[in-house]
Amino acid sequence: MIIPKEIKQKPLEYIFLGFIFLVGLILYFFAGFNSHNQRLIVYGLSASYFFWSLIHHYKRGDLHLSIVIEYLIIALFGIALLTFSFF
Amino acid sequence: MKYFWSNFFIPQEKNNHRASILKPYFLFLLVGFYLFNQSVIKFVSLAKPGILGYSSEITAQKVLDQTNIERQKNGLEPLQYNSVLSESATQKAQDMFANNYWAHTSPTGTPPWNFFKNVNYKYSVAGENLARDFYDTDSLIKAWMNSPTHRDNLLNNKYQEIGIGVVNGILGGVKTTLVVQHFATPLNTIATKTNLTPITPIPQSISETNNAQILSESQTKYLSPLLLSKIIGLIIFSLIIVVLFIDGFITFKKNIHRMTGSSIGHIGFLLVILLFMLYTQQGAIF
Repeated sequence: MIIPKEIKQKPLEYIFLGFIFLVGLILYFFAGFNSHNQRLIVYGLSASYFFWSLIHHYKRGDLHLSIVIEYLIIALFGIALLTFSFF
Repeated sequence: MKYFWSNFFIPQEKNNHRASILKPYFLFLLVGFYLFNQSVIKFVSLAKPGILGYSSEITAQKVLDQTNIERQKNGLEPLQYNSVLSESATQKAQDMFANNYWAHTSPTGTPPWNFFKNVNYKYSVAGENLARDFYDTDSLIKAWMNSPTHRDNLLNNKYQEIGIGVVNGILGGVKTTLVVQHFATPLNTIATKTNLTPITPIPQSISETNNAQILSESQTKYLSPLLLSKIIGLIIFSLIIVVLFIDGFITFKKNIHRMTGSSIGHIGFLLVILLFMLYTQQGAIF
Protein backbone atom coordinates (compact mmCIF):
# COMPACT_ATOMS: atom_id res chain seq x y z
CA MET A 1 0.00 0.00 0.00
CA ILE A 2 1.38 3.42 -0.96
CA ILE A 3 1.40 5.78 2.00
CA PRO A 4 2.36 9.41 1.32
CA LYS A 5 5.62 10.46 2.97
CA GLU A 6 3.74 13.21 4.80
CA ILE A 7 1.73 10.58 6.72
CA LYS A 8 4.72 8.26 7.22
CA GLN A 9 6.63 11.06 8.93
CA LYS A 10 3.88 11.99 11.40
CA PRO A 11 1.49 9.02 11.57
CA LEU A 12 0.06 9.87 15.00
CA GLU A 13 -0.93 13.38 13.90
CA TYR A 14 -2.83 12.01 10.92
CA ILE A 15 -4.47 9.30 13.02
CA PHE A 16 -5.62 12.05 15.38
CA LEU A 17 -6.94 14.07 12.41
CA GLY A 18 -8.82 10.99 11.19
CA PHE A 19 -10.26 10.60 14.69
CA ILE A 20 -11.48 14.25 14.63
CA PHE A 21 -13.20 13.62 11.28
CA LEU A 22 -14.74 10.37 12.51
CA VAL A 23 -16.14 11.96 15.69
CA GLY A 24 -17.52 14.84 13.59
CA LEU A 25 -19.24 12.42 11.21
CA ILE A 26 -20.76 10.32 14.01
CA LEU A 27 -22.04 13.37 15.90
CA TYR A 28 -23.47 14.89 12.70
CA PHE A 29 -25.39 11.74 11.80
CA PHE A 30 -26.71 11.45 15.37
CA ALA A 31 -27.92 15.06 15.22
CA GLY A 32 -30.47 13.89 12.62
CA PHE A 33 -32.58 16.75 11.33
CA ASN A 34 -31.73 19.10 14.18
CA SER A 35 -30.12 21.86 12.14
CA HIS A 36 -29.04 23.80 15.24
CA ASN A 37 -26.94 20.88 16.52
CA GLN A 38 -25.65 20.11 13.01
CA ARG A 39 -24.47 23.69 12.68
CA LEU A 40 -22.64 23.50 16.02
CA ILE A 41 -20.94 20.27 14.92
CA VAL A 42 -19.75 21.88 11.65
CA TYR A 43 -18.35 24.86 13.60
CA GLY A 44 -16.65 22.46 16.06
CA LEU A 45 -15.17 20.30 13.29
CA SER A 46 -13.85 23.29 11.33
CA ALA A 47 -12.32 24.81 14.48
CA SER A 48 -10.73 21.46 15.40
CA TYR A 49 -9.27 21.12 11.88
CA PHE A 50 -7.85 24.63 12.08
CA PHE A 51 -6.26 23.99 15.52
CA TRP A 52 -4.91 20.64 14.33
CA SER A 53 -3.18 22.47 11.46
CA LEU A 54 -1.56 24.97 13.87
CA ILE A 55 -0.12 22.16 16.00
CA HIS A 56 0.87 20.08 12.95
CA HIS A 57 2.78 22.89 11.26
CA TYR A 58 4.25 24.20 14.51
CA LYS A 59 5.77 20.77 15.14
CA ARG A 60 6.97 20.63 11.53
CA GLY A 61 8.58 24.04 11.99
CA ASP A 62 6.81 25.75 9.08
CA LEU A 63 3.97 27.60 10.77
CA HIS A 64 3.83 30.65 8.50
CA LEU A 65 1.06 33.20 8.09
CA SER A 66 0.27 32.04 4.54
CA ILE A 67 -0.28 28.47 5.81
CA VAL A 68 -2.51 29.70 8.66
CA ILE A 69 -4.58 31.73 6.17
CA GLU A 70 -4.82 28.73 3.83
CA TYR A 71 -6.33 26.53 6.57
CA LEU A 72 -8.56 29.35 7.78
CA ILE A 73 -10.03 29.84 4.29
CA ILE A 74 -10.60 26.09 3.79
CA ALA A 75 -12.30 25.82 7.22
CA LEU A 76 -14.48 28.89 6.56
CA PHE A 77 -15.41 27.58 3.11
CA GLY A 78 -16.63 24.33 4.72
CA ILE A 79 -18.77 26.29 7.18
CA ALA A 80 -20.12 28.66 4.49
CA LEU A 81 -20.98 25.82 2.11
CA LEU A 82 -23.14 24.01 4.67
CA THR A 83 -24.58 27.13 6.28
CA PHE A 84 -25.82 28.67 3.04
CA SER A 85 -26.90 25.42 1.41
CA PHE A 86 -28.85 23.84 4.24
CA PHE A 87 -29.20 25.64 7.55
CA MET B 1 -1.97 30.02 -23.26
CA LYS B 2 -1.52 26.34 -22.29
CA TYR B 3 1.15 27.28 -19.75
CA PHE B 4 -1.05 30.04 -18.38
CA TRP B 5 -3.85 27.59 -17.53
CA SER B 6 -1.57 24.80 -16.30
CA ASN B 7 -0.23 27.30 -13.80
CA PHE B 8 -3.62 27.29 -12.08
CA PHE B 9 -4.03 23.53 -11.84
CA ILE B 10 -0.66 21.80 -11.96
CA PRO B 11 2.22 22.24 -9.50
CA GLN B 12 5.40 23.19 -11.38
CA GLU B 13 8.51 25.26 -10.99
CA LYS B 14 6.81 28.41 -12.30
CA ASN B 15 4.20 28.40 -9.52
CA ASN B 16 6.66 27.30 -6.85
CA HIS B 17 5.31 23.72 -7.03
CA ARG B 18 1.84 24.65 -5.82
CA ALA B 19 -1.19 24.98 -8.15
CA SER B 20 -2.14 28.66 -8.14
CA ILE B 21 -5.79 27.87 -7.28
CA LEU B 22 -4.60 26.45 -3.94
CA LYS B 23 -2.64 29.54 -2.97
CA PRO B 24 -4.27 31.58 -0.17
CA TYR B 25 -5.08 34.63 -2.32
CA PHE B 26 -6.82 32.52 -4.97
CA LEU B 27 -8.71 30.47 -2.36
CA PHE B 28 -9.77 33.77 -0.82
CA LEU B 29 -11.06 34.95 -4.21
CA LEU B 30 -13.04 31.71 -4.73
CA VAL B 31 -14.64 31.83 -1.27
CA GLY B 32 -15.28 35.57 -1.72
CA PHE B 33 -17.03 34.84 -5.04
CA TYR B 34 -19.19 32.23 -3.29
CA LEU B 35 -20.11 34.64 -0.47
CA PHE B 36 -20.90 37.38 -3.03
CA ASN B 37 -23.31 35.01 -4.77
CA GLN B 38 -25.01 34.28 -1.44
CA SER B 39 -25.47 38.02 -0.89
CA VAL B 40 -27.04 38.35 -4.35
CA ILE B 41 -29.42 35.44 -3.62
CA LYS B 42 -30.38 36.98 -0.27
CA PHE B 43 -30.88 40.38 -1.90
CA VAL B 44 -33.13 38.94 -4.62
CA SER B 45 -35.14 37.04 -1.95
CA LEU B 46 -35.82 40.25 -0.05
CA ALA B 47 -36.15 42.69 -2.97
CA LYS B 48 -38.36 40.46 -5.14
CA PRO B 49 -40.19 38.13 -2.75
CA GLY B 50 -41.55 35.00 -4.42
CA ILE B 51 -39.03 34.76 -7.27
CA LEU B 52 -36.98 32.21 -5.38
CA GLY B 53 -38.73 29.36 -3.60
CA TYR B 54 -39.58 25.70 -3.26
CA SER B 55 -42.21 23.72 -5.10
CA SER B 56 -43.87 21.01 -3.03
CA GLU B 57 -46.07 17.99 -3.68
CA ILE B 58 -47.17 17.66 -0.05
CA THR B 59 -50.90 17.42 0.66
CA ALA B 60 -52.82 17.18 3.94
CA GLN B 61 -54.15 13.78 2.85
CA LYS B 62 -50.66 12.36 2.32
CA VAL B 63 -49.48 13.71 5.68
CA LEU B 64 -52.48 12.13 7.41
CA ASP B 65 -52.01 8.77 5.66
CA GLN B 66 -48.28 8.57 6.43
CA THR B 67 -48.76 9.68 10.03
CA ASN B 68 -51.27 6.88 10.58
CA ILE B 69 -49.01 4.37 8.82
CA GLU B 70 -46.22 5.24 11.28
CA ARG B 71 -48.64 4.89 14.21
CA GLN B 72 -49.89 1.53 12.99
CA LYS B 73 -46.30 0.31 12.53
CA ASN B 74 -45.83 1.06 16.23
CA GLY B 75 -49.01 -0.70 17.30
CA LEU B 76 -51.02 2.49 17.91
CA GLU B 77 -54.55 3.41 16.89
CA PRO B 78 -54.74 5.70 13.83
CA LEU B 79 -55.59 9.33 14.51
CA GLN B 80 -58.97 10.56 13.42
CA TYR B 81 -59.12 13.54 11.12
CA ASN B 82 -60.81 16.60 12.63
CA SER B 83 -61.70 19.52 10.37
CA VAL B 84 -61.76 21.96 13.30
CA LEU B 85 -58.20 21.00 14.24
CA SER B 86 -57.21 21.42 10.60
CA GLU B 87 -58.65 24.90 10.72
CA SER B 88 -56.48 25.74 13.75
CA ALA B 89 -53.40 24.23 12.02
CA THR B 90 -54.13 26.23 8.86
CA GLN B 91 -54.58 29.43 10.89
CA LYS B 92 -51.23 28.80 12.57
CA ALA B 93 -49.49 28.44 9.18
CA GLN B 94 -51.22 31.58 7.87
CA ASP B 95 -50.18 33.46 11.01
CA MET B 96 -46.52 32.48 10.44
CA PHE B 97 -46.70 33.83 6.88
CA ALA B 98 -48.55 36.99 7.94
CA ASN B 99 -46.14 37.81 10.77
CA ASN B 100 -43.05 36.35 9.07
CA TYR B 101 -41.87 33.97 11.80
CA TRP B 102 -40.99 30.30 12.14
CA ALA B 103 -41.63 29.08 15.68
CA HIS B 104 -44.19 27.51 17.98
CA THR B 105 -44.67 30.84 19.75
CA SER B 106 -45.11 33.99 17.65
CA PRO B 107 -42.87 37.05 18.15
CA THR B 108 -45.80 38.73 19.92
CA GLY B 109 -45.94 35.82 22.40
CA THR B 110 -48.94 33.94 20.96
CA PRO B 111 -48.59 30.25 21.92
CA PRO B 112 -49.87 27.45 19.65
CA TRP B 113 -52.73 26.76 22.07
CA ASN B 114 -54.37 30.09 21.14
CA PHE B 115 -55.13 28.68 17.69
CA PHE B 116 -57.01 25.77 19.29
CA LYS B 117 -59.01 28.30 21.32
CA ASN B 118 -59.69 30.46 18.24
CA VAL B 119 -61.57 27.59 16.60
CA ASN B 120 -63.28 26.71 19.88
CA TYR B 121 -61.62 23.30 20.24
CA LYS B 122 -61.41 22.27 23.89
CA TYR B 123 -58.73 19.70 24.57
CA SER B 124 -57.40 17.66 27.45
CA VAL B 125 -54.01 17.23 25.77
CA ALA B 126 -52.56 18.85 22.63
CA GLY B 127 -49.37 19.11 20.58
CA GLU B 128 -47.94 20.80 17.49
CA ASN B 129 -45.42 19.79 14.81
CA LEU B 130 -44.07 22.27 12.26
CA ALA B 131 -42.18 21.76 8.99
CA ARG B 132 -41.09 23.89 6.05
CA ASP B 133 -39.27 23.64 2.71
CA PHE B 134 -39.90 19.93 2.17
CA TYR B 135 -40.58 18.74 -1.36
CA ASP B 136 -42.26 15.42 -0.56
CA THR B 137 -44.22 13.85 2.28
CA ASP B 138 -41.82 10.90 2.72
CA SER B 139 -38.90 13.18 3.63
CA LEU B 140 -41.13 15.25 5.88
CA ILE B 141 -42.40 12.27 7.89
CA LYS B 142 -38.89 10.79 8.01
CA ALA B 143 -37.55 14.06 9.45
CA TRP B 144 -40.25 14.12 12.13
CA MET B 145 -39.67 10.45 12.97
CA ASN B 146 -35.92 11.10 13.35
CA SER B 147 -36.48 13.89 15.85
CA PRO B 148 -37.32 12.55 19.34
CA THR B 149 -39.70 15.40 20.26
CA HIS B 150 -41.63 15.29 16.96
CA ARG B 151 -41.68 11.50 17.05
CA ASP B 152 -43.20 11.70 20.54
CA ASN B 153 -46.07 13.75 19.12
CA LEU B 154 -46.62 11.44 16.15
CA LEU B 155 -46.58 8.31 18.31
CA ASN B 156 -48.33 9.66 21.39
CA ASN B 157 -51.12 7.30 22.43
CA LYS B 158 -52.81 10.11 24.37
CA TYR B 159 -53.84 11.82 21.12
CA GLN B 160 -57.03 10.76 19.38
CA GLU B 161 -57.42 13.41 16.70
CA ILE B 162 -55.33 15.31 14.19
CA GLY B 163 -55.68 18.41 12.04
CA ILE B 164 -53.26 19.31 9.25
CA GLY B 165 -52.56 22.64 7.63
CA VAL B 166 -50.59 22.71 4.36
CA VAL B 167 -50.26 26.31 3.24
CA ASN B 168 -48.15 27.99 0.56
CA GLY B 169 -46.84 31.50 0.96
CA ILE B 170 -43.78 33.73 1.20
CA LEU B 171 -41.66 33.48 4.33
CA GLY B 172 -38.52 35.59 4.64
CA GLY B 173 -38.86 36.56 0.97
CA VAL B 174 -38.86 32.94 -0.19
CA LYS B 175 -41.83 31.03 -1.57
CA THR B 176 -42.39 27.91 0.52
CA THR B 177 -44.86 25.39 1.92
CA LEU B 178 -45.53 25.27 5.65
CA VAL B 179 -46.93 22.10 7.18
CA VAL B 180 -48.57 22.26 10.60
CA GLN B 181 -49.87 19.23 12.50
CA HIS B 182 -52.19 19.83 15.46
CA PHE B 183 -52.71 16.81 17.69
CA ALA B 184 -55.27 16.67 20.48
CA THR B 185 -57.76 14.72 22.48
CA PRO B 186 -61.03 16.59 23.03
CA LEU B 187 -61.94 17.50 26.59
CA ASN B 188 -65.53 16.56 25.94
CA THR B 189 -65.72 13.94 23.23
CA ILE B 190 -69.53 14.24 22.92
CA ALA B 191 -69.40 18.02 22.42
CA THR B 192 -66.88 17.79 19.60
CA LYS B 193 -68.27 14.63 18.02
CA THR B 194 -70.01 16.63 15.27
CA ASN B 195 -66.64 17.82 13.97
CA LEU B 196 -65.09 14.39 13.93
CA THR B 197 -64.51 12.71 10.59
CA PRO B 198 -63.57 9.18 11.50
CA ILE B 199 -63.00 7.90 8.00
CA THR B 200 -60.24 8.95 5.65
CA PRO B 201 -59.94 10.34 3.00
CA ILE B 202 -60.18 13.95 4.10
CA PRO B 203 -63.54 15.55 3.16
CA GLN B 204 -63.63 17.01 -0.34
CA SER B 205 -64.09 20.59 0.79
CA ILE B 206 -60.76 20.47 2.63
CA SER B 207 -58.73 18.34 0.25
CA GLU B 208 -59.95 20.24 -2.79
CA THR B 209 -58.79 23.53 -1.35
CA ASN B 210 -55.40 22.22 -0.30
CA ASN B 211 -54.77 19.99 -3.28
CA ALA B 212 -55.81 22.64 -5.78
CA GLN B 213 -53.42 25.06 -4.15
CA ILE B 214 -50.59 22.56 -4.06
CA LEU B 215 -51.17 21.36 -7.61
CA SER B 216 -51.21 24.86 -9.01
CA GLU B 217 -48.03 25.69 -7.12
CA SER B 218 -46.23 22.51 -8.14
CA GLN B 219 -46.79 23.36 -11.80
CA THR B 220 -44.79 26.54 -11.30
CA LYS B 221 -41.07 25.83 -11.18
CA TYR B 222 -39.39 28.03 -8.63
CA LEU B 223 -35.69 28.55 -8.44
CA SER B 224 -34.80 27.21 -5.00
CA PRO B 225 -32.29 29.51 -3.26
CA LEU B 226 -30.82 26.57 -1.36
CA LEU B 227 -30.40 24.59 -4.59
CA LEU B 228 -28.76 27.58 -6.25
CA SER B 229 -26.37 27.99 -3.28
CA LYS B 230 -25.64 24.28 -3.36
CA ILE B 231 -24.84 24.24 -7.11
CA ILE B 232 -22.48 27.25 -6.95
CA GLY B 233 -20.87 25.86 -3.79
CA LEU B 234 -20.40 22.41 -5.31
CA ILE B 235 -18.75 23.83 -8.46
CA ILE B 236 -16.17 25.69 -6.33
CA PHE B 237 -15.87 22.69 -4.00
CA SER B 238 -15.22 20.28 -6.91
CA LEU B 239 -12.66 22.63 -8.44
CA ILE B 240 -10.69 22.82 -5.17
CA ILE B 241 -10.85 19.09 -4.43
CA VAL B 242 -9.85 18.05 -7.99
CA VAL B 243 -6.85 20.41 -7.96
CA LEU B 244 -5.92 19.14 -4.47
CA PHE B 245 -5.88 15.57 -5.80
CA ILE B 246 -3.75 16.57 -8.82
CA ASP B 247 -1.44 18.57 -6.57
CA GLY B 248 -1.11 15.75 -4.03
CA PHE B 249 -0.47 13.14 -6.75
CA ILE B 250 2.22 15.13 -8.58
CA THR B 251 4.09 16.18 -5.43
CA PHE B 252 3.95 12.59 -4.18
CA LYS B 253 5.27 11.22 -7.49
CA LYS B 254 8.03 13.83 -7.78
CA ASN B 255 8.76 13.75 -4.04
CA ILE B 256 8.58 17.55 -3.79
CA HIS B 257 8.97 19.24 -0.39
CA ARG B 258 7.08 22.49 0.05
CA MET B 259 6.03 24.82 2.81
CA THR B 260 2.28 24.69 2.21
CA GLY B 261 -0.82 23.32 3.89
CA SER B 262 -1.36 19.56 3.88
CA SER B 263 -3.21 18.49 0.72
CA ILE B 264 -4.18 15.23 2.46
CA GLY B 265 -5.66 17.18 5.39
CA HIS B 266 -7.60 19.51 3.06
CA ILE B 267 -8.93 16.58 1.01
CA GLY B 268 -10.01 14.77 4.20
CA PHE B 269 -11.75 17.84 5.60
CA LEU B 270 -13.54 18.64 2.34
CA LEU B 271 -14.65 15.01 1.92
CA VAL B 272 -16.20 15.11 5.42
CA ILE B 273 -18.03 18.32 4.42
CA LEU B 274 -19.19 16.53 1.22
CA LEU B 275 -20.56 13.63 3.32
CA PHE B 276 -22.42 16.14 5.51
CA MET B 277 -23.91 17.70 2.37
CA LEU B 278 -24.99 14.34 1.00
CA TYR B 279 -26.58 13.38 4.30
CA THR B 280 -28.32 16.68 5.01
CA GLN B 281 -31.74 16.72 3.42
CA GLN B 282 -34.05 19.50 2.38
CA GLY B 283 -36.50 21.02 4.75
CA ALA B 284 -36.60 22.04 8.39
CA ILE B 285 -38.75 21.01 11.33
CA PHE B 286 -39.65 22.73 14.57
